[in-house]
Amino acid sequence: MLQFHEQILTDLLQEDSNGGLVILSSGLSLPSLISSLLLLHSPSQGTLLLLSPSLPLKSHILHLLHQSDPSSQPPAEITADLPAPSRHSLYSSGGAFFVTPRILIVDLLMSRVPTSNVAGIIIPHAHSLTETSTEAFIVRVLKSTNRDAYVRAFSDKPHSMVSGFAKAERIMKCLYMKKLHLWPRFQVYVCEELEKDPPVVVDIRVPLSKHMAGIQKAIIEVMDACLKEMRKTNKVDVEDLTVENGLFKSFDEIVRRQLDPIWHTLGKKTKQLVSDLKTLRKLLDYLVRYDAVSFLKYLDTLRVSESFRSVWIFAESSYKIFELAKKRVYRFVRSDGANVSGNSKHTTRKKRKLNGEESNTESATAGSSSTNSSGSILLEEVLEEAPKWKVLRDILVEIEEEKKKEVLFRKEHLLEGEEPDGGIVLVACKDERSCMHLEDCITKSPQKVMREEWEKYLLSKVELREAQTRYKKKPKDPKGYGILDGVVPVTPAQNAEASGINKLEHEALLAAASEIRNLAKRDSSQDNLEHNVTEGSAKGKKQRSGKGRGNSKNSPNRNDTSQKNDNPSDPGSVGDGPTDEFNQETTSNNCEEVLQQNNRVADETGPKTNNGSPPLHFYALESDQPIIDIMKPSVIIVYHPDMTFVRQIEVYKASNPSKKLKVYFLFYEESTEVQKFEASIRRENGAFESLIRQKSLMMIPVDQDGHCVGLNPSLEPQASSLQNSITRKAGGRKEVEKQMQIIVDMREFMSSLPNVLHQKGMRIIPVTLEVGDYILSPLICVERKSIQDLFSSFASGRLYHQVETMVRYYRIPVLLIEFSQDRSFSFQSSSDIGDDVTPTNIMSKLSLLVLHFPRLRIIWSRSLHATAEIFFTLKANQDEPDETKAMRVGVPSEEGVVENDVRAENYNTSAVEFLRRLPGVTDSNYRAIMDGCKSLAELALLPVEQLAELMGGQKAAHTLRDFLDAKYPTLL
Amino acid sequence: SSSYGGQSRNAILVSHRQKGNPLLKHIRNVRWAYADIVCDYLLGQSSCALYLSLRYHLLHTDYLYYRIRELQKNFKLRVVLCHVDVEDVVKPLLEVTKTALLHDCTLLCAWSLEECGRYLETIKVYENKPADIIQGQMDTDYLSRLSHALTTVRHVNKTDVVTLGSTFGSLSHIMDASMEDLARCPGIGERKVKRLYDTFHEPFKRVI
Repeated sequence: MLQFHEQILTDLLQEDSNGGLVILSSGLSLPSLISSLLLLHSPSQGTLLLLSPSLPLKSHILHLLHQSDPSSQPPAEITADLPAPSRHSLYSSGGAFFVTPRILIVDLLMSRVPTSNVAGIIIPHAHSLTETSTEAFIVRVLKSTNRDAYVRAFSDKPHSMVSGFAKAERIMKCLYMKKLHLWPRFQVYVCEELEKDPPVVVDIRVPLSKHMAGIQKAIIEVMDACLKEMRKTNKVDVEDLTVENGLFKSFDEIVRRQLDPIWHTLGKKTKQLVSDLKTLRKLLDYLVRYDAVSFLKYLDTLRVSESFRSVWIFAESSYKIFELAKKRVYRFVRSDGANVSGNSKHTTRKKRKLNGEESNTESATAGSSSTNSSGSILLEEVLEEAPKWKVLRDILVEIEEEKKKEVLFRKEHLLEGEEPDGGIVLVACKDERSCMHLEDCITKSPQKVMREEWEKYLLSKVELREAQTRYKKKPKDPKGYGILDGVVPVTPAQNAEASGINKLEHEALLAAASEIRNLAKRDSSQDNLEHNVTEGSAKGKKQRSGKGRGNSKNSPNRNDTSQKNDNPSDPGSVGDGPTDEFNQETTSNNCEEVLQQNNRVADETGPKTNNGSPPLHFYALESDQPIIDIMKPSVIIVYHPDMTFVRQIEVYKASNPSKKLKVYFLFYEESTEVQKFEASIRRENGAFESLIRQKSLMMIPVDQDGHCVGLNPSLEPQASSLQNSITRKAGGRKEVEKQMQIIVDMREFMSSLPNVLHQKGMRIIPVTLEVGDYILSPLICVERKSIQDLFSSFASGRLYHQVETMVRYYRIPVLLIEFSQDRSFSFQSSSDIGDDVTPTNIMSKLSLLVLHFPRLRIIWSRSLHATAEIFFTLKANQDEPDETKAMRVGVPSEEGVVENDVRAENYNTSAVEFLRRLPGVTDSNYRAIMDGCKSLAELALLPVEQLAELMGGQKAAHTLRDFLDAKYPTLL
Repeated sequence: SSSYGGQSRNAILVSHRQKGNPLLKHIRNVRWAYADIVCDYLLGQSSCALYLSLRYHLLHTDYLYYRIRELQKNFKLRVVLCHVDVEDVVKPLLEVTKTALLHDCTLLCAWSLEECGRYLETIKVYENKPADIIQGQMDTDYLSRLSHALTTVRHVNKTDVVTLGSTFGSLSHIMDASMEDLARCPGIGERKVKRLYDTFHEPFKRVI
C-alpha cells in the first residue's frame, strides 16, 4: 500500500452510506485497494458482498490478502452449488464473500438475502455497467430494503468511462452514489510518490527489418484505403476515423457505436470494411509479435478463409504484404538461363543439397514440361529472425556481465552483506505464445526455432494444398486469384507465364515439404547421425548464404554496411557479402551502439556461458498475474511495451524503495508499436480530463436524509413497495392492487429485460425453464430473441426446435423479436431484399417458420421498455402463471431434476451445444451420451462399440467416429 | 376457400378492396388476380393475409379488429401484414400486437412496400416447402460441419477452424490437445485457448 492508496481509501470511507465511485489510472493497483477494503471489513458491520471480479483480479486480490495475513481465511465464494439454506446463512454471517451478479439477483428476488445484514457491496468493474445491467438491478433491490448499505464501485479503465453521454454520471445515479473520486497518474500525490525514486530505465529502439517495415507500410496503406472507402459511405463521422485510432481495439467500438443504429441497413461492403479493418489491425499486431514463419502461416490461413469475402485482399498493397511476408521466409531461384544471376546463386546458396536437389529438380522438371518457357525453380530459405531477438540476447549477456562485475566488486571490497536480492530477470511479453518462443530462442538458438517453425509450416502447407484443390475447385472464377500465389492481374500473356512459375514454386514448396516429411519418417538410430550432419552443414551454409541478403534485414542498426547492399532486389550485386566473423563483429558492435549507456566491451564470442547466468523468467502480460510481487525481479525487460505494466512496475518500485530495479524497454523504432503505446497514454489522459470536466458539472439528486434518490425517482417508490411488503410507506398510499407476476428463466438474467420489468413494478419469479424464457400466464409462453440471436438461431435450427416445444406445451406460444433501442428498427437494408425469393434471406426463413407453426404469435418490439409495456398489456386479462407448473413443462425425466436447482449452472453449455452439432448426434441421443461419458475429450477417445451403445445404433456411432477421426481436410 | 380452381391455384388472390394499393406493384415473382374474398390476400388453401398500414391504423384504430372478426375461423394461418410507415411506432405497434395476438393472428412487420410484397410472395411460394432450411441442416461437407461445431465455442472464427484443423489433423486430436498446443496456434489467444480447453475437458454436467 502506498500513501496515495491510503488517501483513496480515506476519501472513500468518509462517505458512509452512499459509497462512491473511484476511477484510477490502469496499473495503479486496483487489487491492493480492494484487498485493503476487505481487510478493513469487520463482521460486526454486516456482510460484505464483492460482485465477482474478473479471474486475474480475483487471484490478485487473494494473493494480496494472503500476503498481508497468511493466517486469515480468504473470502468464500457463494456459488449456485450451495443449497439455498446454507446460502442464506452465509448472507447473514457478516463475512466477506465473492458472488456473481446472477446468483445475487436471483437470491434477492427470492428473498433469500437478509438485506438488513448486508453492510455493502463492492463492484470492481464500474466501466462495464449500464442503467439496465444486473448490478444496477441488485443495487436498486438492495437499497429498497436497506437504505444504509453502501455501494463502492471501482474502475481502472477511464477511457471506457467516457464513452457515451455522461456515462459516469448515469452509472453513479443507478448505483445511488454521490461522490466521484478521480485518481489519474498525473495526480500530484501519485506523481510525487511514483517519481520519488524511479527505477533505472534503458530505452532501446530496435529498427524494423526492411521487409517488416515494408509490410507495416503496406498494411497501413491498406488500412488507409479501407478508411477512405468507409468515409465514402457517408455513414460515419469522419473525425474519429484515423489510422492512429485504427490501432486500438476501441476503434471497433467507435465505429460500431456510430454504425449500430443503422447496422441492418448497411450494405455488405460496409460491413466487410469494418471487419477488414479489424483483421488488418490484428495483422499489424502480429507483425511485431510473431516470427516470420508464423506470420506467413497466419496470412496463409487468412487467405484460405477470407479470400472470397474480403475487399482488402485484392488491393494493390495487400499484394505487397503477402509478397514481403513470403520474402521473409523463403524465395525461389531459377536454375535455368532465364535468370542469369539466379543460376549462379543456386549453386552457391542452396542449402538442401543432398536429397533436396534430386527431388527439387525432379519435380521441377516435371512441372516445366507443361510450361516449357520456364526452367526449374529452387527453394531457398531466408527465415528472417525478429530483430528484437538479437537485442534481447545481447541484453541478457550484458546483464550477466554486470552481475559478474558486481560479484567481483563485492569480493574485491570484501563486502559481505546480503546477496543482491534474487536477481531474477523478468521478460514481459504480450502473450503465452511469445513467451514460449522467446524461451526457445534463448535456450536453443533462434535459428533452430525458425527452422522448427519452418518445417511445421511446410508440413501444413501440403495439407492446405490438398484442402484447396479439393474444396476450392468451384470458385476458380477470376475472383479466386490468390494473391499469395503470385498471380497478379497483369496482361494475359504475362499472366500465363506467371502462373506457370507459380505452379513451379508450389511444386518446389511441396518437394521441400515432402522431404522434411521423409526425414521425419526415417528411422532414428542410424539415420540420425546422417541427419544431424546434413542439418549441421545446412546450418553452416545458411549462415553464410544468409549474409548477402540476411544482413541487410537482420542486424539491427546497420550503418556502414548498408550502402554496400542497398540493392537487394538484384541479388547479383549482393554476392560479396561480409564474412561470418565480420558479421558477428558488426552486429555486436551495433548493439553496443544501442546500449551506449554501458561502456562495456562487447564479448566477441556472442553465445553466453551458462554458469552464473541470472535466473530468467518469462511472463505473458495477457495472463495478468501479480507477477512482479511474486518474483521480485531486479531486472525487467519489457519486450512488448504496455502502459498498464509500466505503471505496475512503478507501483512496485515505489512500494519497495530499497530494491534496485533496472528496466529495459524494447521498442521497434518507427513502428506502430511505439505509436500505440504513446497513444494509449494520451488517450487515458484525455479520458481523465473529460471526467474532471464532467465531475464539475455533475448533478446528483439527493433526498432530505442525504440519500441518493437514484435514476428515475418517479418509479422508485412503486418499485420498492412492490419488492417486499414494506410498511413504512408514508402518506397513506392506496393498497396496490394485486401485483403482476412473470416467471423468468434463470438464463435470462444475463439480459436486462428482467431488470426493466421489475422497474415497471412486476414481480419477477426466477426459475429454471426448459421451455420458453418468460411465462406471462398459464397460456402465454414467450421466447425472446434479439436480432443477432434470431439470425444465429435460425441458422443453427435452435429456433425451430424451441418453437416446436413451445407449440407443444402452450396455447399461445410467442416469439418476441426484440430490437435494440439504439439500433435501427428494421430487419435489413433494402439492398438485401433482392429480386427473388431466396432461401437464405431472413424473411424467407421467418415466412417458413410461420407457415409451419401457424399458431405461433410474433411480437415485434422496438426496445426493452416497449417489451415491458407489451407484457403488461398482454397480461391484463390473464391469470397469473404457476411457477411449479411452468418448471415441469418439457423436462424430460421427472426424477433427477431438483427444485431450486439452477440448471444453467450445472451444464457446460458450450460443450453441450458442441456435442449436439456433431454428426450422428440427435435430439434423442445426446442426453444418453452425456450420461455415458464425462466430457468431449473423453468422447473423442471412445471406441465405436461403446459409442453405438450410448447412441443407440451402429450407424450413428460410425458417423460420429468417422467424423472425429477424419483426416483434416477430407470429405466424409 | 378452395373453390378457386385452375390457374388461380398458383396465384395470389387479391381482394377488390386492395385495388390501388401500391403494394401490388411489388408482387412480381408470383402471379396474382382479383377475386371476391373476405381477406385481403389469399395465399394458399388455408392461409390468408390482412394488410395494415400503421398510418391508417392511427386514424382508424378499430379497423383491424373488425377485419379480423370478418375472417371467422376459415383459415389456419392468418397473417396481419403490418407496414411500419410511421416514425413513432411504440404505441400503435403495441395496439396492433395486442389485437393480433389475442385474436389468433400472426403479425409480420415490414418496413417498405417491397418488403410487404416479398412476404406475400414468399408465403405463397413456400406453401408446400419442407422446413429443412430452418432446421439447422447445413452443408454436409467436412469443413463446414467442422466449423459449425467448433464455432459454438465463443469467439472461435472460421480462420481459427482452419488453423486448428491444419495443426492437429483431425477433430479428435483437436479435442485432445493440451492448452500449450492450442496456445501455439497463431491467432488463438489466451482466452480462446481457455474456452476451447474448457469446452473439451470440463464435464458436460458440472459436479455438484
